[in-house]
Amino acid sequence: MEAGTTAPHVGHDPHDHIHPPPEGFIRKYVFSLDHKVIAFQYFITGLLFMLIAGSFAELIRLQLWEPNGAIMSHNAYDTMFTIHGTAMVWLVVIPLVTGALGNFVMPLQIGARDVAFPWLNMLSFWILPVAGLTLFSTFLAGGAHAGWTEYPPISLADGTAGALWCAAIFLVGISSTITGLNFMVTIIKMRAPGMTWTRMPLFIWASFATAFMNMFATVALSSALFALFLEHVFNVPFFDANRGGSAVLYEHMFWFYSHPAVYIFILPAFGVISEILPVFARKPIFGYKMIAFSSLAIAILSFAVWAHHMFPSGISPWLQLTFMIITYAIGVPTGIKVFSWIATLWAGRIHFTTAMLYAMGFLITFTFGGITGIFLASVPADFHEHGTYFVVAHFHYVVAGGALMGFLAAIPYWYPKATGRLMSERMGRWSFWLFFIGFNATFFPMHWLGLEGMPRRYASYVAFATGNPDAVFWNQFETVFSFLMVVSIGLLAWNMIWSIRHGKPAGINPWGARTLEWTISSPPPYYNFRKIPIVYDRPYDFDKPLPYRNLDNDIDAYPEPSPVLLRQEPVRAGA
Amino acid sequence: MAQTTAPQPQQIGPKGMGPGFWPYTIALTVLNVIFALLILFAPLDFIMPGWSHPVTDRAADIDGLFKFMSVFGFAIFCYVAGYVAYFAIVFRRRPGEPAGTIGVVVHDAPKLEFWWTVIPSVLLVILTGLSIVVWYKIQFGTGAPALTMEVIGHQFYFEYRYPGLKGSVYSQTDAMHLPIGKPVRILITSADVIHQFWAPEIRLKAAAVPGLVQNLNFTPTAPGTFDVACSEYCGVDHSVMQGKLVIESADKFEKWLAAQKQRAAAGAHPIPLARGNAASGKALFAQKCSACHAIAPFDKKIVGPGLAKLTDDPQHPTLVTGKSPTRDHIAEILENGYTGPIGAMPNRQANGLSDQNIADLVAYLVSLK
Amino acid sequence: MATAVATAPLAGHEAVAARYLEVDPVYAETRSIRLLGFVFFLLSDCVLFGAFIFAYVYLRISAPTWPPFVGNHRLPWFDTAFAALNSIVLFGSGVTMHFALENWKHLNRQKFYRWLIATIILGLGFLLGQAHEWTGVLRGGVTWPGSTMGASFFTLTGMHGFHVFVGVCYLTVLGLQARRGIYTGSKYFGLTAGTLYWHFVDVIWVVLFTLFYVW
Ligand code: HEA
Ligand code: HEA
Ligand code: HEC
Ligand code: CUA
Ligand SMILES: [Cu+2]
Repeated sequence: MEAGTTAPHVGHDPHDHIHPPPEGFIRKYVFSLDHKVIAFQYFITGLLFMLIAGSFAELIRLQLWEPNGAIMSHNAYDTMFTIHGTAMVWLVVIPLVTGALGNFVMPLQIGARDVAFPWLNMLSFWILPVAGLTLFSTFLAGGAHAGWTEYPPISLADGTAGALWCAAIFLVGISSTITGLNFMVTIIKMRAPGMTWTRMPLFIWASFATAFMNMFATVALSSALFALFLEHVFNVPFFDANRGGSAVLYEHMFWFYSHPAVYIFILPAFGVISEILPVFARKPIFGYKMIAFSSLAIAILSFAVWAHHMFPSGISPWLQLTFMIITYAIGVPTGIKVFSWIATLWAGRIHFTTAMLYAMGFLITFTFGGITGIFLASVPADFHEHGTYFVVAHFHYVVAGGALMGFLAAIPYWYPKATGRLMSERMGRWSFWLFFIGFNATFFPMHWLGLEGMPRRYASYVAFATGNPDAVFWNQFETVFSFLMVVSIGLLAWNMIWSIRHGKPAGINPWGARTLEWTISSPPPYYNFRKIPIVYDRPYDFDKPLPYRNLDNDIDAYPEPSPVLLRQEPVRAGA
Repeated sequence: MAQTTAPQPQQIGPKGMGPGFWPYTIALTVLNVIFALLILFAPLDFIMPGWSHPVTDRAADIDGLFKFMSVFGFAIFCYVAGYVAYFAIVFRRRPGEPAGTIGVVVHDAPKLEFWWTVIPSVLLVILTGLSIVVWYKIQFGTGAPALTMEVIGHQFYFEYRYPGLKGSVYSQTDAMHLPIGKPVRILITSADVIHQFWAPEIRLKAAAVPGLVQNLNFTPTAPGTFDVACSEYCGVDHSVMQGKLVIESADKFEKWLAAQKQRAAAGAHPIPLARGNAASGKALFAQKCSACHAIAPFDKKIVGPGLAKLTDDPQHPTLVTGKSPTRDHIAEILENGYTGPIGAMPNRQANGLSDQNIADLVAYLVSLK
Repeated sequence: MATAVATAPLAGHEAVAARYLEVDPVYAETRSIRLLGFVFFLLSDCVLFGAFIFAYVYLRISAPTWPPFVGNHRLPWFDTAFAALNSIVLFGSGVTMHFALENWKHLNRQKFYRWLIATIILGLGFLLGQAHEWTGVLRGGVTWPGSTMGASFFTLTGMHGFHVFVGVCYLTVLGLQARRGIYTGSKYFGLTAGTLYWHFVDVIWVVLFTLFYVW
């Protein structure tokens, strides 16, 4: 073994797996300790919640069909966007990108048999459905109305529903913190021998940065909500101005978490893109080190930009200035990533698989959303843009066009590994184009609607539409196209179900990818690796043999994409 | 271990940067220059038809900043999307290529990476500079104000207070007035929850936070009547929390202010809706209104329609007058009466209502949910 | 490789134990994983206190007077002298815990139990002191829902007190586990974790004490 292979590993024999193989249905599928099963549980739960949160989004769009939409009362509309935002953020995107994707891919990519604390992993999953039920139970208590940011004092008017909201998100916070802690330790301690920091796949770098934020920032969220909960239930004055409290304090506490949170969504998606682009461009990732370190730079900087959400909220001008400058600074590492990805495409041999289409779509929509972020970061411009649909447009470009899109790219990419079957490329292409077109048509017009004066969280926009008759047209346009996204996601779901039975067998390595998960059978065995592999280089050099020794399976030294991918033919036996 | 079987994969790469790379780059650049000129020199409402004219000095500054950001934001996006599309087409895998074909192996290009770190940084430094200039003007750049007024957010209307005027203008139908050419300072606060004062034409907004007074400073430059909107969620009527802003010549403004002062002195306050008492409203309703109205859904008529859920009824989203169901619009009906297809609703004199009575009744009616 | 693993973590305290018993490499690795996890847990717990400390400092700085007024009544300062005395009790328990662990490492079981019980008693003593302190503060008119001062004081010291309480229970459980023979001279991660936790609770108290009683 060479120098630098310092990370040893528990269990040099599959029987030393850090927990014994489960027996019985409950242990195997419900309270499983296996990271792959837990990932699957996260996946299903996340998708179910997405169905609910997405349906709420469509109800929002229907209400906005007319300036004085009468689909629902204003009160009901307020609960719709509140629960839509809350659920999308905490019950859909974060569980999907960290819980489902991170849990499935991360241990496999570092050559580990499981995460460091399997029991905690199970616990943090099971907190999630409880949190979800708590969140939806707010409807029984009259509904939470105050938006996903839940600013007091208005959120205090929700009474029990508000307190339940706090409890739900507090639970999600605990769950994320545990996951973050678990992933940090796993990545630091359990990499296969020889996998030094600069030999880690980029998804692992991204997961590491994410875990770091999950671990530190999320506790701040829990604290903010704990304080808000105390104010709800025991009337303890942290935020009540009449008793010396401060509403702005809550905003600080909330955004101290929630800005890092937006990078918690996006960094795993960055990781996914960094994995997919080199594989389908069939060339090494460009600028490995810069991409890896920019993830860390983003994670660290993200702790110092939170007040850009509060420019008009009553903070000192000097704070505005400081936060503006740091926020701008975050554009530079992000830009380095974007440019490196584009350079990865240059002179590649690009395979347009579904995953690659999503990844390229991501490049375009995310960049657009990032640039509008720069527009918002300018204090004077934000004085105009804050609280309008321009902000809504910005963040849907980065959350739906960025984080969700990155996740959608990951589905067809890792699905074959998880199930042993390829997904249908034909349906995949349809779902990509439907999503891409539907997405842009839904959220692009919001930019000018916002700039022209349409505030967000408006159940009716009569006054605005009176001054801007076009507004009605554009809102209807958005509503119509937003349904393409529903069709797309529905098709994707159907594709997943259909492919379990009808998909072509995937073999070990259908894409000719080079990270460790593609060296074991699909789906991976319970203990992942029969023999813990030894790593002696980065995984991205397509011109070199695979940089691993001690692999379970004999896979070709220069893995090629399977013929299924190249022409629609049955896969070569055993490959 | 089988790391020796397959042959070295075949690399396919372009000559130079790729076919037509430089002409394409020039085309993108020309496109960017055209857009830059368009954005810089065409008025914004030419590009965005609904864009409103700036009516204060600060609004004009912000528009300038916005134009600059649009120029380089568009340029960056154009190059990013442009090259993604170009590479996707030029470097796509061709059918029939041997499966093992790979692209050109490059790991990095320090010079290139240097430039794509430096150029965005420089752009951002320039942007920081420009933003700071405008930020400084907004925060510290307006001299001693000639007029200081207050805006107070309430659920769900804005209250405006002018110096020398004891009472304030409670009703949304009464607009906020500002004089042209005088530096003004608007102090903003809230009486209940967080609201936000925003008039798109001013391009400035500030949150009205309970227990905190913020200020906005600028000089209005053009006359007109504009919408004021609440842009922070503040409760069920957030979306109908609208006001009007009238910017007029200094003379007209002085006259308006003098008239207001007179009214205030005469004790003829506009209706103080905020002081309505729902309990007395209830008693009053039983006495004066229940002959014609039931507290029931809209279609349960006696003479007039049922009045439960006036403010929050999806089946009946506006008032009979066609206006949104705000306190002021309800008060308007009680004040003036209304004759429509259902019948005739008596006015204030006919029903014998005082200002306070109206305020109480409105408070009672909006409390019905 | 196994030998490399076995010798690498054998610095400091472990060296002492290794003199008596051989260290198992798989255990050493498991232990290092758990230790890192536990340290991360404590760090994230710091953020919990950090957030509330931020809230307290923010409220205090933005208040026109401190202690604030409730109606016409200006709230009293806290009783520094008593709290200092109580702090000594808590810090003392940190010292006794240190001795307990050292004695375990040197295989002095009897002394270990004695020091551990001393720690638990001191911990309970601190809680009693806190109870006394709380009644005093309440009598002075500072209540939890009454003012920002009460809100931050009771929430923070309450959270800290809760941590001490959990710590006392934790140490008791550790003692019982030790009696059942779960820990050996070279495998005693639980005891290390317990000690770390207890020291952590001390450190938090230093900050709280400074902020509430000294500032
Ligand atoms: C995935 C989530 C995500 C991501 C990644 C981002 C990324 C960024 N966001 Fe966004 N943001 C949100 C999610 C996200 N945001 C959400 C949810 C809200 C609203 C919350 C609410 O109020 O409900 C919000 C709101 C928000 C605001 C507050 C607006 C307001 O309420 O007034 C601001 C202000 O500064 C902002 C800025 C930025 C910036 C500067 C980035 C940067 O990180 C972007 C960096 C990327 C690029 C710049 C593009 C790529 C770079 C290049 C191609 C290099 C060259 C570029 C330049 C030189 C500019 N965001
Ligand atoms: C990660 C986050 C995320 C995602 C992915 C989305 C996705 C969408 N969002 Fe959302 N949104 C937020 C986060 C997100 N949003 C947040 C934080 C807010 C702010 C809330 C606040 O102000 O407090 C917001 C607010 C918000 C508003 C503004 C409301 C207002 O201010 O008044 C609107 C309006 O159009 C909107 C629309 C949409 C639409 C059309 C989608 C679409 O992309 C959704 C597409 C649909 C789906 C993804 C799933 C639906 C699929 C099906 C129903 C069929 C599937 C079938 C099977 C599985 C069998 N969102
Ligand atoms: C003489 C009968 C009569 C009396 C007395 C009367 N109203 Fe009315 N009211 C009407 C009628 C008729 C209408 C419907 C007008 C139309 O739309 O044609 C109406 C409409 C209204 C509306 C508008 C309802 C909507 O949904 O838009 C309100 C509010 C209202 N009345 C309040 C009152 C109050 C308060 C009183 C007591 C002070 C009162 N009315 C007394 C007959 C009456
Ligand atoms: Cu007031 Cu929104
Ligand atoms: Cu942010």
